[in-house]
This record gives sequence, C-alpha cells and structure tokens, in this order.
Amino acid sequence: MTQPVSIIMIEDDEGHARLIERNIRRSGVNNEIVAFANGNDAMRHLFGADGSGLVQKGNALLILLDLNLPDMTGIDILKQIKENKYLKASPVVVLTTTDDSQEIKRCYELGCNVYITKPVNYENFANAIRQLGLFFSVIQVPPAAT
Amino acid sequence: MRAEAHRRRAFWQILLLSAGLLVLTVISAGSVYLVNKAREDSKWVVHTIEVENQINALLLEVRRAESSARGFLLTQGPDFLSDHEKAVAAIVPALDKLTRQISDDPAQRENIEKLRAAIETRLDQFSREMTFVKQGQPDRATALIREAAAGNTTTTIGNMANAMIREEERLFRLRTLNSDRSQTLAASMTGIGSGLVVVLAMISIWLVRRSARVRDEAEARLRDANVNLETVVDERTADLREANDEIQRFAYIVSHDLRSPLVNIMGFTSELEELGGDIFRRIGGLTNVSADGSPLAPGAPGEIALEGADKQLSEDFSEALGFIKTSIAKMDRLISAILNLTREGRREFQPVKIDTRELIEAIVSTLAHQAAAARAEIHLEPLPNLVSDRLALEQIFSNLIDNAIKYLKPGVRGEIRIRGRTKLGYAIFEISDNGRGIDARDHQRIFDLFRRAGTQDKPGQGIGLAHVRALVRRLGGTMSVSSELNAGSTFTITLPIAWNVSNRNRDR
Repeated sequence: MTQPVSIIMIEDDEGHARLIERNIRRSGVNNEIVAFANGNDAMRHLFGADGSGLVQKGNALLILLDLNLPDMTGIDILKQIKENKYLKASPVVVLTTTDDSQEIKRCYELGCNVYITKPVNYENFANAIRQLGLFFSVIQVPPAAT
Repeated sequence: MRAEAHRRRAFWQILLLSAGLLVLTVISAGSVYLVNKAREDSKWVVHTIEVENQINALLLEVRRAESSARGFLLTQGPDFLSDHEKAVAAIVPALDKLTRQISDDPAQRENIEKLRAAIETRLDQFSREMTFVKQGQPDRATALIREAAAGNTTTTIGNMANAMIREEERLFRLRTLNSDRSQTLAASMTGIGSGLVVVLAMISIWLVRRSARVRDEAEARLRDANVNLETVVDERTADLREANDEIQRFAYIVSHDLRSPLVNIMGFTSELEELGGDIFRRIGGLTNVSADGSPLAPGAPGEIALEGADKQLSEDFSEALGFIKTSIAKMDRLISAILNLTREGRREFQPVKIDTRELIEAIVSTLAHQAAAARAEIHLEPLPNLVSDRLALEQIFSNLIDNAIKYLKPGVRGEIRIRGRTKLGYAIFEISDNGRGIDARDHQRIFDLFRRAGTQDKPGQGIGLAHVRALVRRLGGTMSVSSELNAGSTFTITLPIAWNVSNRNRDR
C-alpha cells in the first residue's frame, strides 16, 4: 500500500515524452517514470514475457498512453489492459493529438480514466499535466486485484 | 441499319395486308358479278325452253283445229265444231305470246312473220271451210281442203315451227354452255382467291413471327446492355467512393500527423521562452543587483530592469518567439480546420422534416448580439420547408448570415433579407445584404479553402464558405453568389425539397 506509484509512459514521440516528463516534474510529482517509445516494449513490460500480466501483480501503476504508436494502436493496448485482471484497476490517461469525439467516446467506453487532447497551447497542456500530478498526489492509487 | 430493317419489315407487312384486302375485294366483286351473270344465263336457258314449249303448244293448237275441222266436215257433229272454234280461238293468243317471247331475236322474228302469215292463211282457209260446211256445201269445203293440202300450208307451218325449234335448240346449247362457263368461272375465282388469301395470311404470319423473334432478341440485348451499364455504373461509383474515402483518410492522417510535430514546436518554444526569461533575469541580476537580492518571480521579466544592449537583446528574443508562436497558432487553426472539414465529410447525414423558418429564427437569435453591434436588421420572408439534415442546414445558414453581418459597410444601417421559393422539386434560398460586396474577380475564390476577398480587416480563416459549399453539395444542391463591390451580395442556395439518404450517403 505504501509502495509509490510508478508512471508508465507509452509515447513514441521523444519530444512529447520529454515535454510530458518535464511538466510532470515541474508540477512537483517525483514518482518514477518508465518511458516506452513503442507498443511492443510497453506490452512486454506490462504483461511480462508470458503475457499474463502477473509480473505487475501488486504494483501501483499509472499509465500514460498515446493512441498513435508506430507498431500498434493505443486503443488495442487500452483494451488489453482493461481486460487483464491484474492491470484493469490501474488508471489509464490517454494523451493524444486527436480530439475526435468518436475516438474519445471509444476510449471512455473501453475504460480509460482520463482523456487529454495534447494541445499545442503549451500553457493549457502544462496545466493539464500539473493537474494530473495533483491527481497523483491526492488519489491513492488502489492496489491491483489479487 | 436496324431502323432500316424495321421500316422495311413494316412496309412489307402493310403491303401484304393491302394485297390481301385487294384480293378479297376482287373476289367479292368478281363473285357477285359472276353469280349475277350465271343467274342471267340460267334465265336465258329457261326462256329458251319456254319458247320451245310455246312453239309446240302453237303447233298442237293448229293440228287440233285442223283435225276437228276434218271431223266436223265428215260428221257435221256440233262437238267437232265447238272443239274447232276453241282451238282457233287459242291459236291467235298463243301466236301473240310467242311473238312477245322471241322479240329479242331478229332471226326468230323473221321466222315468226312467215309462220304468222302461214297460220293466218290457214285460219282463213278454216273459216271458209267452216262457212261452206255450215251453208251445207261439204263438197266445196272438201275441195277447199284438197286445195289447201295442195298449197302445202300445213307443211309450211310445220317447217317454220321446226326451224324455230332448231334455232331455239341452238340457242339452248349456246346458253347452257355460257351458263356452265359462268358457274365454273365463279367457282374457280372463289377457289383461287381463297388460296391467295391463305397464302398471304401465311406470309403475314411468318413475317409477324420473324419480327417477334427479332424483337425478343433486341429486348434480350437491351436487358444485357442495361445490366452491363448498371455494373459499369456500380464499378465507377465504387471507384469514386474509394477515391473519396482515400482523400478523406489522407486529409485526416496528414492533418493529424502534422499536429504531432507542432505540439513539440509549440512545447519547446514555450520551454525556450521560459529559458530566455531565466537567462535574461540572470543577466539582469548580474548587471543590476536587486535591492533585496531575493529571487524574482518567473514569467515577469518586466520587473528586471535591463539596460542598453541587453534590453535590445531581450526584446529581439521575445519578438522572435512571438512570431514563432503566432505562426504555430495559425498553423494549428488551419490544421484544425482541415480536420473539421474532413470530419464533416465523414458525418452521416440524417434527413428530417425541417421547419426552415423556425431554424433560421433560432440562428438569428443567436446572432442577435452581433447584429445589434453592427446595427443590422434581419428580415425573414416566407420560406419553404424541406426534408434535409438539420445540423448541415444550421451550419449553412449560420455561416451565411454571420458573413452577411460581418461584412456590412461601416456606418451604414445593415439590412439582411432571407427569401425562399420552390421550383421543380428544389427549394431556392437567397440571403442578400447591403454590405461591402465582393469583386467579380473573387466570386470563385471565396469558395476556396483558406482564401478570402476584400479588405482583410475581419478575423477569419477563409473556411466558412468552402465548408458551406461542401455541405450544400453533399445535400444534393448548388450555391452561387451575385455581388458587386460596394453594392451588397446575394448568396443563392438551391436544395432538394425532399433529400433522402440513398442518393448521397450511398455514394460515400
């Protein structure tokens, strides 16, 4: 329970990853950030070599997910996370450039907790990330299902 | 070629029918004529027989008169006398009747004259004989008879009568022959005619069947052609749909992927801005030590008093960043516009019944504030209702009315009119204003994406009209503008009154 939340960031664009990281740090969140530049690496980390997700049992995770990945779509990752019994309790924040209402709706239907459109307006983006940090610090991420 | 053959076939059929009709008419006329002729011929045959009878009857009467006269002479019995008188009395009418009957034949007329003369001579002898017998002078009567016998009067009568009978027999043969010929002719005519009609009918039937076969073949070919055509149309439609979808996907992906680097540019520009702030603050701190030495709040470079060249540097730095940020913001707006347009192109339209007046009144009320600011009045005239997509119509009209308000002439009371009428299944709407107008050169340009016309003193992306025209087209309509610089503009939209999904969404 006292285990600190680790942030899994799945983002192919290095610049976006750096900006997200910086703004998370700037807003005072010092949790570990594990970054992945493609879907497969992230999947291996999350679900382990056997794909069961057992490796993450009991870990408190928060997943930042980009929808446009070079090797697979973020939607697929989201779906698998929410279908896995060890991972489904972890909050997922979808961060993407798309503000298509259909896609947003789809993500929420699949169980995404927050959907943030990456705005070019940097102030708003930073603000959103800071709020996310606040969210991390206030909300006790619940333990994964046993 | 085919038309030619068809015409030829029709011509032949008409010819055949005419020929059939003609043959029938000729047969009928001929038959009537021949039957009449046969009847006439029979009448003549009968007539000949009657004449023969009459001649024989006359001869009989003459012989009767002769024999009774002899009997009276021999016996002087009154019976013979009365018999003789009866016979004599019958002779003259019989002769007259015969004369009437043969009046048509000159040869017989001649014969009968002679016969009449002979009979009259004989009658005269009879009356003289009778007179002698009655006066009681039988010898003289006998002598008279002898004399008459020597005069051959009776023989002459017999010969004449025989001649006449022969003549009549000749006529009888002739007329019988004629009658036979007429009847044979009538029969053969009817036969040949009927045969001809049957032949014509058969040819006609053959022609009709052949033409029916040709027609069936043509119909089959037509059906095939139709099916082919539909297939071709379907293929083309599918191709077009695919091309359209591809363009939509392309636009979506391009604008989407363009946004991703833009996020970085904007983000790191902001980072740079902060860095710049930090740097110049530090420069300021180094050159101009703050009074209390406390750290300065970030993002407030104004608090640091930079001087001379340092100040110039800071200003240049801020200006450069400012340009970058404005350009990024602009590019972001353009990309968003493209994204919205492609998204609009993907949206499925739902045709519903729309009370146009109500819809436009709602738009006008949302634009009331802008209208009041521009001192513009909006007049609604009677508008036809239609079946169309509500959201699309709202976007079309609000864009056009918004434009009308936006581009009024400054200092002139704005007057915007919305008129509507229907024509041939289409509703025609006109939105006219008394605004600044559009130069004729720009009438096409204003419908292009990101293009604008006239003085660029109003905010805008150059998207509205492009969007409106795309919507109108998707709704199966057209739009046009008529305008002159400084004389107001009229935008005309033509939309189908009853738009249905099948004719447009199916193409998508």
